[in-house]
Amino acid sequence: MTRHAWLTVARREIITKLTDRAFIVGTLALIGILAAALGVQAYVGSRASEYAVVTSSAAAERMADAVKVAAEGADDKTTVTLATAPDDAAATQRVRDGDADVWIREGTDGWVLTGKEEVPGDLERVATSAIRDATLSENASAAGTSVEALARGSEVTTAVLDGDADKAFIAQAVGFALAMLFYLASFTFGLALANSVVEEKASRIVEIITTKIPVRQLLTGKVAGNLALAFAQMAIFVAVGLVGLSFTEYDRFLPAVSGAVGWFVAFFVVGFGLLACLWAVAGALASRTEDVQSTSTPLTMLTMAVFFAALLAEGSLKVVLSFVPPFSAVLMPIRVLEGSAPWWQALLALGLLVAAAAGVVAVASRLYQRSLLQTQGKLSLRQAWSTPE
Amino acid sequence: MIAVKGLTRTFGDLVAVDDVTFDVTDGLMTGFVGGNGAGKTTTMRMVMGLLAMHGGEVLWNGAPITAAERRRVGYMPEERGLYPKQKVLDQLVYLGELSGMTASAARASVTTHLERFGLEDRAGERVEKLSLGNQQRVQIIAALMTEPDALILDEPFSGLDPQAVDSMADLLREHTARGIPVLFSSHQLDLVERLCDRLVVLAHGRVVATGSVDELRSGGPELYRLTLDGDAGWVRDLAGIHVHDVDGTTALVEPDDAGARRALLEAAVSRGDVLDFAKQVPALSEIYREVTA
Repeated sequence: MTRHAWLTVARREIITKLTDRAFIVGTLALIGILAAALGVQAYVGSRASEYAVVTSSAAAERMADAVKVAAEGADDKTTVTLATAPDDAAATQRVRDGDADVWIREGTDGWVLTGKEEVPGDLERVATSAIRDATLSENASAAGTSVEALARGSEVTTAVLDGDADKAFIAQAVGFALAMLFYLASFTFGLALANSVVEEKASRIVEIITTKIPVRQLLTGKVAGNLALAFAQMAIFVAVGLVGLSFTEYDRFLPAVSGAVGWFVAFFVVGFGLLACLWAVAGALASRTEDVQSTSTPLTMLTMAVFFAALLAEGSLKVVLSFVPPFSAVLMPIRVLEGSAPWWQALLALGLLVAAAAGVVAVASRLYQRSLLQTQGKLSLRQAWSTPE
Repeated sequence: MIAVKGLTRTFGDLVAVDDVTFDVTDGLMTGFVGGNGAGKTTTMRMVMGLLAMHGGEVLWNGAPITAAERRRVGYMPEERGLYPKQKVLDQLVYLGELSGMTASAARASVTTHLERFGLEDRAGERVEKLSLGNQQRVQIIAALMTEPDALILDEPFSGLDPQAVDSMADLLREHTARGIPVLFSSHQLDLVERLCDRLVVLAHGRVVATGSVDELRSGGPELYRLTLDGDAGWVRDLAGIHVHDVDGTTALVEPDDAGARRALLEAAVSRGDVLDFAKQVPALSEIYREVTA
């Protein structure tokens, strides 16, 4: 039985969390915010635009036709309807009444777009370039040449050395999201874990539990339970994020992002486990809930350092930190996402992280074991290490 | 049987438990008595393996106790520990499972015990909602629910009303009747006197007396109280009589032997009426004060 006692402990941790209203509400709220943000993005991207254009002359009607072709060709969610008015006054009236968004007419020197209060920006852009193209080509043929001939050699294209701009943007955005997820999970679950350890200490139930099962099993169970929950929560967030992403204009990056997320999951599990053991020790060093804040300060700093390193580290510092536990837990998946780390580097960093986690588990279980039954005030790390059992 | 041999524990310069030796015999209730700071809790925690021993050993049926055997001991710590926010039934089932019971066996045992203490309708409540006395009952159930091989209970009766003390005492007797050793500490000497088969008295970390209540009593001097119809001062002149106290017509005396006692009574009868002549049975509290002084 005692070989599986940690499972019983882990199950209690999970059930306690799942029946805690604050945890459920917090998780649902985060999912809601995430879904809403992606929903807005998707809605903005997919909104259909419809413009009504009125003209009052045959030349303008031809030009409006060209605008319609250009606008609908540029974006399949845009439609332009054309109408003609018998004279300028009638056309003005239609715009004034809201029957038309824009009145296109030929002015004394070029073309004029007239709107009621404003000319819709999208339409203005498309119309401006369509009118310019049409006019240019008319002028060119009048001069006996063609637009193509005139424009030859004037083409400007852009090139970047590292991937394309959109990919860099998406790598940064997803990297930020992953760093945030890791930070949130290790901080909220870590603090909760430290508090539950000190709760057991303060209520002395730990005395009953440790006469029944080995301390190591208790630690394992608590870390495993929280890891499972954090993992499940993160999986939901990531799933919502990926599904949401598929509805936005960035959906073409889904395969690349999913691969990096796979690495992130592996690093998350090990990195979170490492930090969780330390949080448990922070709880064990305290005797009362009030002490947790001070015993966990170094950990709070470390967790924040990991987060900010993920956001700010650049160049060779980033490369180095992507191998250093616990920074590697976030930085290496981000480098994989950027495409700057080959698979063997990721594997090496994961190996180092696993080794560090194993070391931390050994040290943490000694500290945890020795400080768990000390109930007089706070313990320093040195005291906890050297205190007899 | 649990045997404690030469158990010693220091905290810095303070020797909290000093070469403590006693037995907790199968089928008997052993009371563990001593003032605050006498070392009772420290001793019990060492027996349970919660504190490292700095000397001595704890034997279970003659061999050093193992972790597996300790797991079969029902333990109730002095400072009550339960999860305040967890429901009574869930919490007890959890502790039962940690002791190796199946969930259904734990549930059945908890339900039976809750009924015994009249707490069956509180099973779904959070522990923090219960009164202190009821929390104590829940705590006791946690120690008893596993049909343990031994019981180590630190102050199990503190905070209980007389009725709860009785039902608790009955429950403990059921367990000694199964033949298991039970050790409990208490400050309430009258209770210990009433319940215990054997006593271990601790003072300043040392065992100052062990034995049954009768043995402890017989260990002291045999005193007689003599009440006459006149002044009792003359008893001081009798040979073979050690006088502890004379107060007007009453004297408290310790005869050297049965002959001296008979001579005392004959002398008293020849001088007048003897209103009272009785052997004094010292209360446990007197013995306790004497041995721990």
